[in-house]
Amino acid sequence: MNEKLKINFWRLAILVVGVGAWEWLTGIKAVSKIPGLYFIDPFFISRPSKIVERFFYLNSDKVRLTLWQMLLSTVESTFIGFFVGVSTGFVAGLVLGRNDRLARIFEPYIIAFNSLPRIALVPLVTMIFGFGLLAKVVLAWMIVFFIVFFNTFQGARSVDPDLIHSARFLGAREGQIMRTVIIPSALAWTFASLTPSISFALIGVVIGEFIGGESGGGIGYLIISSLGTLNSADMMVSLIVLAITGIVMALGIKQVEMRLLRWRPEYQPKG
Amino acid sequence: MSRLRIQIGDLSKTFREGGREVPAVSRVSLDILDKEFVALVGPSGCGKSTILNMIGGLIAPSDGQVLIDGSAVRDVPRQVGYVFQKDTVFPWRTVTRNIALGLEYRGVAGPEQERRVAEAIRLAGLSGFEEAFPATLSGGMRQRVALMRTLIVEPEILLMDEPFGALDTHTKLGLHAELLALWEAKHQTVVFVTHDLSEAITLADRIVVLTRRPGKIKLIHEVKLPRPRDVIKLRETDEYAQEYSQIWRVLGEEFAEHAP
Repeated sequence: MNEKLKINFWRLAILVVGVGAWEWLTGIKAVSKIPGLYFIDPFFISRPSKIVERFFYLNSDKVRLTLWQMLLSTVESTFIGFFVGVSTGFVAGLVLGRNDRLARIFEPYIIAFNSLPRIALVPLVTMIFGFGLLAKVVLAWMIVFFIVFFNTFQGARSVDPDLIHSARFLGAREGQIMRTVIIPSALAWTFASLTPSISFALIGVVIGEFIGGESGGGIGYLIISSLGTLNSADMMVSLIVLAITGIVMALGIKQVEMRLLRWRPEYQPKG
Repeated sequence: MSRLRIQIGDLSKTFREGGREVPAVSRVSLDILDKEFVALVGPSGCGKSTILNMIGGLIAPSDGQVLIDGSAVRDVPRQVGYVFQKDTVFPWRTVTRNIALGLEYRGVAGPEQERRVAEAIRLAGLSGFEEAFPATLSGGMRQRVALMRTLIVEPEILLMDEPFGALDTHTKLGLHAELLALWEAKHQTVVFVTHDLSEAITLADRIVVLTRRPGKIKLIHEVKLPRPRDVIKLRETDEYAQEYSQIWRVLGEEFAEHAP
């Protein structure tokens, strides 16, 4: 067996054993009676078979809002927050990165706002923007903005002055230097922040959905309403769906990032 | 007699380093004629790149001035092309798009741009690498891209700051031959900075030897080797050996003095 196959075998083995043990142990009443193991009970951690069953139920027409619709709402808010965050973060990073005075004026405010745990702002954002899509987007934006801002700012500052000089010797005017040297240099840093940004956008949205209630919808709402009904199976369904969504989005953005940065030495095909 | 192209008059530069004044260039005067190939040679830190940067308008002199075609250099002069020691090829642009930069800036587009870029790529021997990104090219190829990118806008004056300094001897010789061939065709006025004496003798009409910091002119030597020159065979000739030893007698002192 080659190395790759071995690794995949062990990954699969862990999954099968883990899920199997979960199914088996939660079926034995006596286990939850052992002191300290009370949570090994379908009430707390549900059961794989039950989770699959609820997955199909939540996608059926027996529920008012299907799991699929909830997921769509979460993904939609994440992408909107991501795009707005990336574009505003980029513009702000570029402007402050190329203007020392502005950067120095804004520095304490940016540090102060960035030091504030974003989660503490959730109630305020909800008060201002209501319980719908907008609040979720604003929360995702607030996180993504700073990630992209700091990266782009750094990128705009570290533009190689010799590249600017050589452009000038080739006859570039200020606007052309901005377009052909500064923006591409800074974008390289911006692009490198896209993958963490999408993951953080998802975090912002889910937090927003915890508070947003039914009108906001989304997977976060499903998790919170499952807590209300003490329904661990629905919670597990949500968590698994959320994990898969997070992976798919991060991998997708990673592909975009590699495509945009294909000129970089570290993204060159090996061999 | 050719006309005067670059006049360097009493040029000095002092840098401030941590409150201290460090003189880099001290009262250098030099007239460079049109179509002349001049090499500035000296030990590292002698201020030769600083002189070049003042000719190119990248840094302002502390004293004295540089005139190009009779007018004082303030900003980057239009008729000047500059090849840096460091790799300044734009990494996010392919070979073609790098070489097209100057034309793009000047508004030369469409078939005219394509024709001139294709010609430059052919001249530089970069055929087959048109769509390659710089990261996939060798140092020598990248420097060829930088050279063609500069030459495509047909600068009348070419400033070169140790452009082949980072390359191995073999690659270097190849690029010397190419540079000389290109220069024979257009006869730009060239100011070439190097610490490699053999490079200077191979390429230049005149060699200016600078002292250790602060750089002053120690010797101006006329290279009497006929043109066109064969960069490989040249090195076997007695004339080359004579030129070398004549300059080395002076330059060697600079390397020897205060040597660590």
